[in-house]
Amino acid sequence: MTIRWTKRPDRYIETTIDDETVLMDLDSGNFFSLTDTAAALWRLIDGARDGDAIIAAASAEYNCEAAAIAGDVRAFLDQMAEAGFIAGA
Amino acid sequence: MDKDVTAAVTMMQREMRVRDGAVAVGLGENPVERGRYSISSDEFLMHLSGGTRMYYRKGEGVTIDRMPGEDPRDIDLFLNGSVYAAAACINGLYPMHASAVAVNGHVHAFTGPSGAGKSTLIAELGRRGFPMFCDDTMLIDMSRPDQLICLPGHKRLKLTPDALAMTGATAQEQVASMIDKRFAEPAAGVHASPLPLAGLMFLEEGDPARIEPMPGGERILRLQDDHYTTEFFEFVHRPNRAERFRQLARLAQGISISRFVRPRDSRRFADDAAIVAEHLQSASGNLP
Repeated sequence: MTIRWTKRPDRYIETTIDDETVLMDLDSGNFFSLTDTAAALWRLIDGARDGDAIIAAASAEYNCEAAAIAGDVRAFLDQMAEAGFIAGA
Repeated sequence: MDKDVTAAVTMMQREMRVRDGAVAVGLGENPVERGRYSISSDEFLMHLSGGTRMYYRKGEGVTIDRMPGEDPRDIDLFLNGSVYAAAACINGLYPMHASAVAVNGHVHAFTGPSGAGKSTLIAELGRRGFPMFCDDTMLIDMSRPDQLICLPGHKRLKLTPDALAMTGATAQEQVASMIDKRFAEPAAGVHASPLPLAGLMFLEEGDPARIEPMPGGERILRLQDDHYTTEFFEFVHRPNRAERFRQLARLAQGISISRFVRPRDSRRFADDAAIVAEHLQSASGNLP
């Protein structure tokens, strides 16, 4: 079974400054700074892609093997889900 | 100058009209004790430690209830400081704890906690030909979607004895009875009309002396931690987290933000200040 990842804009507010995406948790006021690949992965979360599709899109964007980045991408998705910024459906 | 840009200046001049008269002991039921203040969405009351009360009400200006014997310099200091900042916030302007110079029609500001060296740097940049724009408090009109417009400073430059010695500025009278600072005339004069904000530099201590760009997340965190100045703004407008974030993001996106790191060493002061002067020259060359 695949899980499609969807952003939860009721839980955070975001802004982009130069190449950095800054998220603020609306409950806690804590900041999350996403740079480089993390900012790119965040952009790939569109409600339609599941984890595999995000890995495939990132590997195409960065011209690297999907297997080489799969662990990092899943760890990022888990972290964002734990923060409450995305949800799987 | 376009009329919209000067509207905030005219408004502040009107709002800061001063008259002497009786002032209530508090806003609402609770009296304001000496050395304290109270602020609401349209009123501000400050009770000085010497007993004088200063009251501002939106649209009605400032009333001062003077305690006999209170040093008029102390009253002026608070009138230009807390009362002015409160009136600005009540009228929707955003205050920043910063000193600034004017460079080719743009404002370059320097921020840091009290004692970080803001005024000293402004005095030295004046000696290098940059007119002062403001000292200690910078008011920003964020109502225009395209630009952040700064109001020219209403406070005179204030320097400690050390800063006077380092910058070679000419000392004028003492600022207030309990404050070991003197007024000084900036060497390149004062820019007296509103200008758009172009850059903000955080003053930090370290070695070697250098200027570094500040990353986005840090910009927002540091802008949020603006010492005491934005406290009035938050009391008056009580923005929720999202509104406050959007406001900080607008500041963080709209201007160049960097840090100026240097050792606090008076022997190296002039050389280190030269780094900033060069940065301002090249930044102004890159402006549209």
